Amino acid sequence: MNEMKKAAITLNVNNETHDIVAYPNRTLLEVLRDDLHLTGTKESCGEGVCGSCTVLVDGTPVRSCLTLAIAVQGKEITTIEGLSVGEKLHPVQEAFVNHHAIQCGFCSPGMILTSYALLAENPNPTEKEIRRAISGNVCRCTGYAKIVEAVKSLTEEGK
Amino acid sequence: MEKFSYIGKDMKRIDATCKATGEALFTADLALPRMLVGKALRSPHAHARILAIDTTQAEKLPGVKAIVTAKDTDGDKWGVFKYTQDQQFLPTEKVRYVGEEVAGVAAVDEDTALEALSLIAVTYEVLPAVYTIEDALAPGAPQLHDVYPNNINVHVVIDVGDVKKGFTESFLVREDTFTAPEDAYFQGEPYAVAAQFDHSGNLEIWMPNAGPHLKAKPLSNVLKIPLNKVRVRKITIGGAFGGRSEISPADVICALLAKKAQRPVKIVYTREENTVCTRQAHAMITQIKTGVDKEGRVVARDITCHMDGGAYSSTGPIATSVPFLCMEQAYRMENVRYNGYRILTNKPIRGMFRTHGRGFACGVDIQLDMLGEALGINPLTMRLRNARQTGDLTPTKSYVASCGLTETIEKTGKMSRWAEKFGKLPPYHGIGIGCNSVQTGFPMGIRGGSQAFIKLNEDGGVTVITGIVDNGQGNDHMIVQIAAEELGLTPDDVQLISADTEVTPSDPGSYSMCETFIGGNAVRLAALDVKKKLFRIVAEEFGVGEGELSAKNRKIFITKDPQQSMSIAKAVRMALTRNESISGEGSYWPKVDWKREWVKNPYGQLSETFSFGTVICEVKVDPETGQVEVLEVTASQDVGHALNPKVVEGQFEGGVAMGGQGGMLTEYLQWHEGRVLTPTQLGYLVPLAIDMPKINDIIVETNDPKGPYGAKEAGMSVAMSAAQAYCGAISNAVGVYFHEYPITPDKILKAIEEKKRETEKSNP
Repeated sequence: MNEMKKAAITLNVNNETHDIVAYPNRTLLEVLRDDLHLTGTKESCGEGVCGSCTVLVDGTPVRSCLTLAIAVQGKEITTIEGLSVGEKLHPVQEAFVNHHAIQCGFCSPGMILTSYALLAENPNPTEKEIRRAISGNVCRCTGYAKIVEAVKSLTEEGK
Repeated sequence: MEKFSYIGKDMKRIDATCKATGEALFTADLALPRMLVGKALRSPHAHARILAIDTTQAEKLPGVKAIVTAKDTDGDKWGVFKYTQDQQFLPTEKVRYVGEEVAGVAAVDEDTALEALSLIAVTYEVLPAVYTIEDALAPGAPQLHDVYPNNINVHVVIDVGDVKKGFTESFLVREDTFTAPEDAYFQGEPYAVAAQFDHSGNLEIWMPNAGPHLKAKPLSNVLKIPLNKVRVRKITIGGAFGGRSEISPADVICALLAKKAQRPVKIVYTREENTVCTRQAHAMITQIKTGVDKEGRVVARDITCHMDGGAYSSTGPIATSVPFLCMEQAYRMENVRYNGYRILTNKPIRGMFRTHGRGFACGVDIQLDMLGEALGINPLTMRLRNARQTGDLTPTKSYVASCGLTETIEKTGKMSRWAEKFGKLPPYHGIGIGCNSVQTGFPMGIRGGSQAFIKLNEDGGVTVITGIVDNGQGNDHMIVQIAAEELGLTPDDVQLISADTEVTPSDPGSYSMCETFIGGNAVRLAALDVKKKLFRIVAEEFGVGEGELSAKNRKIFITKDPQQSMSIAKAVRMALTRNESISGEGSYWPKVDWKREWVKNPYGQLSETFSFGTVICEVKVDPETGQVEVLEVTASQDVGHALNPKVVEGQFEGGVAMGGQGGMLTEYLQWHEGRVLTPTQLGYLVPLAIDMPKINDIIVETNDPKGPYGAKEAGMSVAMSAAQAYCGAISNAVGVYFHEYPITPDKILKAIEEKKRETEKSNP
């Protein structure tokens, strides 16, 4: 049985404050999915390799499966659910939809958030920079060609 | 007026938005009230007798709600075929691979479930095991099952023409052996299953599947409940790639736990479990002997392939046959013999995979290159001379109704500038070509056909009801696109109920590339049925013949006088007030030879039509490191008719990644005896964005006479032909023909070293 003591954890997720009580060894991924029911964040490898669980912490993509929830208190956490505004998709989401960058969709939330963070830091990445940025996110369906096209469509060159 | 409103147009997929927002629910995302966490206890031994299972301590653990073992089953053995019933989902006597399920636990949380697993005491008597094809076939080898002497699970024999005479008459004959180890499906979504029973004994169950009806029937058999009580529900699916078609022990264990606990239970596999305890792709040793005439045409071929099938049959008879069948479809060969053996070993179970038989196909193709070199004929010409043609009969007697293979070879050659490059590239640069062909549905018994219903609403919108499943490739959109096109509606007017065995009619599933051809045809026929009924009403109203009407833009109108029109909504309302049924039904049963059987009678029409594809790949090899840089890939396929060209391109590109980049460069499982050493992404290297080359897509359309709008299937043959093209390109770059796959840097360096030594020997 778990001998650890539960802790009160306050998280700011998608501009909402959540107070939860959880064991300090709970990962951000577990808390997002199980406690906050934000199931858009996916688990595929569970060891920080595949990028499916990517969320943004203060705008930087992190592996939520390797991040403890307790360690990101006071930071701004963005999940895929926080990207669209009402019915309106974020331009990155729209580009993924329009460019057929989504097949099975399991990697898409992580891939979209990584692309979002790349474009926020560098609005006009080259193809190589795009490929390098999303190489921490594994997609088994697309061969990445349409994902790269989608991201490129948002740059000056691609517009 | 354009012929089609939606068919052949680039359209946004109907399922893309909910996947982009995270709204799409996969099985692991389901949370039902009072749901428990399920876990499976797995065998640590490759081969062992189960002497006792003691669950007493685990049952006492607070929070444990149910434990199931073989005692909770009837001990029935399951199999895809009557003659391959060899797997118990919770074995009673023996475990046959590391990872096989022995018991299941449902508890209030994961920690408790895992602790309970550790408290189950299983007493095993460890038995000697076999881990390779050679060991399994050795005299006196330990036997996995009583019913398969010498561990030979399946033996497929195909013998056509006069092979002996063919070799005698050949100008040149070669014999080579090609090998490839096991590879992993590595679907993005790890396997998961959620199940609950209601008090009437109805089972609701969710899991990633390649056919809900393929799952429901065995569940009904194993759980001994009628089929109408097994409700396999629709859920978003994170990839299948040939897997996930069969019932999984996890499905049964989850259902048994849910029944015992009378609470919903969800089992979510770890990445390791997904790699080890679902299906893997077969390891293969393929001996190929080919005789050609002076022009490079194949006169005779004799192939013997041994496949490592792991511990159970799975789809064994199919798996043993398909690598050969793809090749006999792609290339003409009149005198041919095939001996396919599926051998059982104490390793995880192997199934059908998107690049099933990569070593086999690469062997056939690279041997053509070798023969061509000896004859002074370049690889592209070798393929043109042997390419399958429309109107041919394959050796096992399938009529080929449409075939654009030659066109794919020519167009791919032109776009990749083959003629300017082959033999003219700098040292360690190479170019290679591969061709392949796949089926669009096999004879699949009672589930070989598909049925669909269409219900109309009074506002003119429709709901399509079909068993077709979408694993991520875009089948849901295909259904909506066909219904909208045929009925003159917009995709927004079409709602979809699919892949739910409570309401949707029978369908083969997304298996053997049949959903567009078979399922799509059924949906189209249902739409035609609706249209006929609506046209009858409108024709009567306008005083014209039904044949004079068309449907487009939500209207039915006189084709020659489009101003005379009636909205579909009005036609529906008229039908309702007249008490006329306007629901539609469609059913498509492909014309295949139902007497054809994988082992007993492997002759007759295998599939109503076939797709054909060619890939050309250009690479640069670093002779210092053995690393391969892929410069460009050109992929083409005769898809019949591309219903949604961007979706087709996506299938090509994904196929190049999985078959070529992964399948030929990095992907293989490493072992210690029966244990997988590389089950996760840290060790099993799937391609990343930075690895992928520029891919050119060429869609070739032959408009199949029977496909819906001429469509066949999208992109499957590309995955295979990409592997072959990569193999050819690396061989061309290094100047050594590779016989062992994937072609990893160590193999390349060894080949370069050996070649240097040989050159030095001959020029001292």
